[in-house]
Amino acid sequence: MKNVLFASAAVLALGAGTATAEKLTVFGPWLGPDQDAVEAVLADFAAQYEHDVSYVGSDSFEQQILVDAEAGSAPNIAVFPQPGLATDMASRGFLIPLKDGTADWIRENYAAGQSWVDLGTYAGADGNDQLYGFFYKVDVKSLVWYSPENFEDADYEVPTTMEELKALNDQIVADGGTPWCIGLGSGGATGWPATDWVEDMMLRTQSPADYDAWVDNELKFTDAKVVGAIEEFGAFARNDAYVAGGAGAVASTDFRDSPKGLFSSPPQCYMHRQASFIPAFFPEGTVVGEDADFFYFPAYESKDLGKPVLGAGTVWTITNDSQAAHDLIEYLQDPGAHEIWMARKGFLTPHKGVNPEAFGDPTLRKMNDILLNATTFRFDGSDLMPGGVGAGSFWTGMVDYAGGKSATDVAAEVQASWDALK
Amino acid sequence: MDTIAGTKPTLTWAVHISVALLVVLWLFPTVGLFVSSFRTADQISGSGWWSSMFPQERQNPAIRLSGEELQEGELFVISGNVFDGSEAAVSLWGTSSRAPQAFQPGETSELSRDRTVTLEVNGDFRFTATESQEGKRLPRVFTTATTPPDFTLENYDKMLFDESNIEGMARAFFNTLTVTIPATIIPIVVAAFAAYALAWMEFPGRALLIAMVVGLLVVPLQLALIPLLKLHLNIGIGKGYLGVWLAHTGFGLPLAVYLLRNYMVGLPKDIIENAKVDGATDFLIFTRIILPLSFPALASFAIFQFLWTWNDLLVAKVFLIDATGETTVMTNQIVELLGTRGGNWEILATAAFVSIAIPLIVFFAMQRYLVRGLLAGSVK
Repeated sequence: MKNVLFASAAVLALGAGTATAEKLTVFGPWLGPDQDAVEAVLADFAAQYEHDVSYVGSDSFEQQILVDAEAGSAPNIAVFPQPGLATDMASRGFLIPLKDGTADWIRENYAAGQSWVDLGTYAGADGNDQLYGFFYKVDVKSLVWYSPENFEDADYEVPTTMEELKALNDQIVADGGTPWCIGLGSGGATGWPATDWVEDMMLRTQSPADYDAWVDNELKFTDAKVVGAIEEFGAFARNDAYVAGGAGAVASTDFRDSPKGLFSSPPQCYMHRQASFIPAFFPEGTVVGEDADFFYFPAYESKDLGKPVLGAGTVWTITNDSQAAHDLIEYLQDPGAHEIWMARKGFLTPHKGVNPEAFGDPTLRKMNDILLNATTFRFDGSDLMPGGVGAGSFWTGMVDYAGGKSATDVAAEVQASWDALK
Repeated sequence: MDTIAGTKPTLTWAVHISVALLVVLWLFPTVGLFVSSFRTADQISGSGWWSSMFPQERQNPAIRLSGEELQEGELFVISGNVFDGSEAAVSLWGTSSRAPQAFQPGETSELSRDRTVTLEVNGDFRFTATESQEGKRLPRVFTTATTPPDFTLENYDKMLFDESNIEGMARAFFNTLTVTIPATIIPIVVAAFAAYALAWMEFPGRALLIAMVVGLLVVPLQLALIPLLKLHLNIGIGKGYLGVWLAHTGFGLPLAVYLLRNYMVGLPKDIIENAKVDGATDFLIFTRIILPLSFPALASFAIFQFLWTWNDLLVAKVFLIDATGETTVMTNQIVELLGTRGGNWEILATAAFVSIAIPLIVFFAMQRYLVRGLLAGSVK
């Protein structure tokens, strides 16, 4: 906050008399340390473009942006954690298309550029597809966290294929341990960690084309391929011997508490599959790279699907047209804008022009390598599905599944809720 | 008579005991929250607050050795205390996650590459190696130890005095007062006039009006949020204090009118009729007679309205908080302290006790009117 205040004071002083200085409001989902980081980026923007920028974060971003847009009091820039919601907003005419040429820039400068353009292109109120969203800040989800020393103490090797991972599961159980900590609890969003599991399993058992068809509902939830992916998740989460606290604890454990089992004595579990942000919930003083580390959630060697990576990202959109808002999107194309946050925590980027030396710690670089080495990169499917499914019935369905309901029943319910939305 | 005299004391006892039980039951979560506000996040997720008040024997997470390396002849030695001087008593310990209870205090564990660790009961350790450990990862020790209760003021410090937080917190506090005080006074003033009219002035459609007010009591405010905000934006109020005062006034009025009207109707008819005979106008009767007599009801509603606007997050988020971030309130500030993914329970517990302070002052200052006002409104 202070930085922004100082920066904006400086901007006011500098920009006094220039006609271009504008007030720009940015609304996003980040709070705490992430908020400091985004404010540092915006302060740099404010200094370069001489605009007066203020950022506000909210934990209930998804609800509040809707209220503000409906009422006509939207901020200039809204940063969506889920493209699904941005799609809804675009179709209702709440988003302003980005400048011509932005799409070309993304294609050229982002790794897998076309996929980022596709993810940011929505149908507007008039039904025409246009680029509305610019992706900045990406998360990798296909990570398994573990304690290297616990692995050393027990003589376990980091698995590089799904077959090895499954063998490791059984070996840990045979040694009297528990392989996994899984927690689905997340307040109103309970169930989302399980949707990530299913998406990862989908990418590891079916082709990327099938995954895309699933996200568009051309491949129904009730299809054997999807039910199979749900059951792959069940093979981990519904086995009492595989999960700390037993399968019954999966749905009731909070996802923020579940990684702590890695560090207890004796260890409650040896592995935890979660996205790149999870170190924020490790016990205080845990050093990533020393006390905790991660490996790529491996793919089946036998299936020849390469190394698929599941990810997510935040998409920046203009919700209230102004020159300053377009300036900010332009600024975000500068490698410098990425490097400021790279030097801090929890930031990955598909921008090919950035200097990898800018990463604040080596683990982040390792994560970015996973992103760049991916043969297939797919966006978190539940974030792309309609809100009623991706942030509704899919979540609750997975909680039911973890609670013992059969995969076919759960899939049928999710599909029914999707059909009802059409 | 005997039986009545005989049963009375037992009945009183039963009442007392059940009241005491209810109080304990009622206070139980609050006490838990209070104790939790003095614990760190790791302690909260590690053990329940009820067990934190007594010395506990438990298996602690691994502690990595650290300290300055000294050379003693052939050996490189690092010594220190794993508990950083806090009074804990080790009962068993180990150096591997597979056998965290392998050794008694005072025993020596042989590690790979000719390294050894010795741990004493009080947590003093001595680590030896045949080569310098500089730049290398030192081993971990797993302890099973009895630790005394450990509380911290860190959360309160972070909440009230932390550099990055204090500015926002202070602003939120004054903003909340700016919202709360007018949002309490305006509905009381409006409702008092309305209640008098509905209770003592004869006009056609009065009963219907009262019925409408009672009907409005059951309309949930969530229903009106967006239409009302749209109205505010259309007539130019926008998001801001005026909007949030109006919203709180509107949402508070049905209960206020209903409560005050029921109270005023119960006031002795004779006084008012006498005043009318003496030539007093309705306004005089209202200000000189009704208002002073209705004070308990006014105070009890003031407490209600104050507590509820103080604790409000929803109405503030819709009608006040915009993307500039200048207009935040306490509740919103607290939610933001929870972090992007909302895991900081220790801050939540602390924030609850910090934000409860003002409502408590208001409550204790006015609580003697509360029960009186409530009863008076319901019993004629």
